[in-house]
Amino acid sequence: MVLAFLLYRSTAAYPDSVQGSTAMYIRFLAVSLGLLCAVETGLWLKSREKEISEKLNITAAPMRFWGLFIELVIYSLLLEPLGFYLASVLFLPVAMVTQGAKKPITIGLTTAGVLLFVFLVFEKLLVVPLPERLWF
Amino acid sequence: MIVESLYALMAPFSLLAVVIGTVSGVLVGGMPGLTATMAVALLIPVTFALEPLTGLLLMGGVYCGAMYGGSIPAILLRTPGTPAAVATALEGYPMTQKGQGGLALKVSVIASFVGGTFSALVLLLVAPILAKFALTFGPPEYFLLALVGLAGIVSMADDGSSLIKALISGLIGLILAVVGTDPMSGMLRYTLNIPDLFDGIAFMPALIGLFSISQMLELTGTGSIVADTSVITQIKREPMPKGLGKFIGTGSLVGTIVGILPGEGATIAAFLSYNVARQRSKNKDLFGKGNPEGIAAAEAGNNGCVGGSLIPTLTLGIPGNSVAAALLGGLLVHGLIPGPELFTKHGVMTYAFILSLFLANIVFLMTGLFMAPYFARISLTPTSLLIPVVCLFSVLGSYAMNNSILDISVALICGIAAVFLHKTGFSLGALILGLILGPIAETGFAQALIMGHGSYSIFFNRPQSLSLWFIIFLLLIPPVYQSIKRYRSRPETEVPCTET
Repeated sequence: MVLAFLLYRSTAAYPDSVQGSTAMYIRFLAVSLGLLCAVETGLWLKSREKEISEKLNITAAPMRFWGLFIELVIYSLLLEPLGFYLASVLFLPVAMVTQGAKKPITIGLTTAGVLLFVFLVFEKLLVVPLPERLWF
Repeated sequence: MIVESLYALMAPFSLLAVVIGTVSGVLVGGMPGLTATMAVALLIPVTFALEPLTGLLLMGGVYCGAMYGGSIPAILLRTPGTPAAVATALEGYPMTQKGQGGLALKVSVIASFVGGTFSALVLLLVAPILAKFALTFGPPEYFLLALVGLAGIVSMADDGSSLIKALISGLIGLILAVVGTDPMSGMLRYTLNIPDLFDGIAFMPALIGLFSISQMLELTGTGSIVADTSVITQIKREPMPKGLGKFIGTGSLVGTIVGILPGEGATIAAFLSYNVARQRSKNKDLFGKGNPEGIAAAEAGNNGCVGGSLIPTLTLGIPGNSVAAALLGGLLVHGLIPGPELFTKHGVMTYAFILSLFLANIVFLMTGLFMAPYFARISLTPTSLLIPVVCLFSVLGSYAMNNSILDISVALICGIAAVFLHKTGFSLGALILGLILGPIAETGFAQALIMGHGSYSIFFNRPQSLSLWFIIFLLLIPPVYQSIKRYRSRPETEVPCTET
């Protein structure tokens, strides 16, 4: 509802030339969102006791869930300084271990296989630009 | 001329070009972040060194193959290889979870084949007439066409409560789509002065986050994608479900028509076909839980777009979508100017290209049918290995579209948001539908109002508009009626369903 309110207000800053076109469209979206959120809030308040326990159960394995998400964030941050291959060499084994992989050979072969595939198909064959290292 | 074209197509080098192009297309389509547009664009410089016909056959094969290939990871990993495969993922992945991944792939490849062949036939027979029809569509009709697509949001609701959540999800998608440059004034909106957002939120990273990363996060803590691995042995010989013909037929027709309209894409075609199938199905309750009818309609729809999009491209020089635009570039570099001359002076080459689309469809049909059981085994890979690998390709796919690290952040934010939205009963399908159709709806709405000098009557005073209103009415009434009926008959104590 806050988003709907802010969105509606933001259209006042639009140029006069689009007040009757795109600004109108965005006002329509804002009003619709506000109304629907109000109805949904009413329905949620009516049945919240029974729903709360279900909604809080986001995952059955919180350590693996949040572990993977944090690893992905760190991986995306390391892509530019370290480059794609070095960041991936760190990400893949760590993520596999976090997700329960135990055999070092399987982890090593999978990592090597995936990176070889990316090198041959993405970099050499399709010439897709990969993040390049900045640090060294 | 057709006979000469057939001779040209049957030359060994031409046949090889179709086969290589199609198989490469399947591979490119199967990798998130690599699109048919990218592959065709990459091929243009390669075709300089080839005969014009060979180059065209290669590009046509890639286009057909990629459109089908996108469905493979969509079904097996809930990671759409191309945006057009999102609707397929909605039904395909639940089938994989039930151990029916092989069957889902089989339905997908057969529907893709029929859709692709039908549209190629339409392209061969009535291209010029249909191209003129497409030009009668103006901004009001494009806005209404977006509304036809958005009507699908209502079908994605399960009961009275989730109808509202589905509508909110769709609105969030539409609101996310307004980030970027105002299509009318050129003013920057909600971009936080980040240059990467000037063109709006990149669609593919958002899609990868909403579907792929969120699914990988949800898979943490499970052993494999398939809940009951004992049922996986059935996949090899499972027969095609009966009664899919009408859904494939509808999808083929809708896909071809949407493909003809300039600017409309295979994603919209797939969603529209999916929505129509949902309305026509006797098994509406199975939608969202793994209904092959949904896969059949969506895949016939997005492959139907291939031939459809080439109709305005070849006859008028107006590309039906981004892949057709890249293909148009390929035509132009070889001195082939779209228009009547393409069908007369360069007729042999043009008809050989059109006929090659039939061949490309056969090639991916064979590839798909042969490989389906092997592809399906991906679903048995332990999640401890699968999750990191899919996440790596998701990150790579998000980055590859615009070479932007910000796009990876978009994918991660969308991924974690999608998990929470899904768990709280909001519809990801509706959200993505809003995101896809938002720009078309906004531009159509704004341009139509300018055309009509601010009067809304412009949306009602043309026969094409009235036909589209009629279709919207037909699509909206049954699900709204069903939702109200379900909500009223629900016991007082029942908690509203959270799954959409």
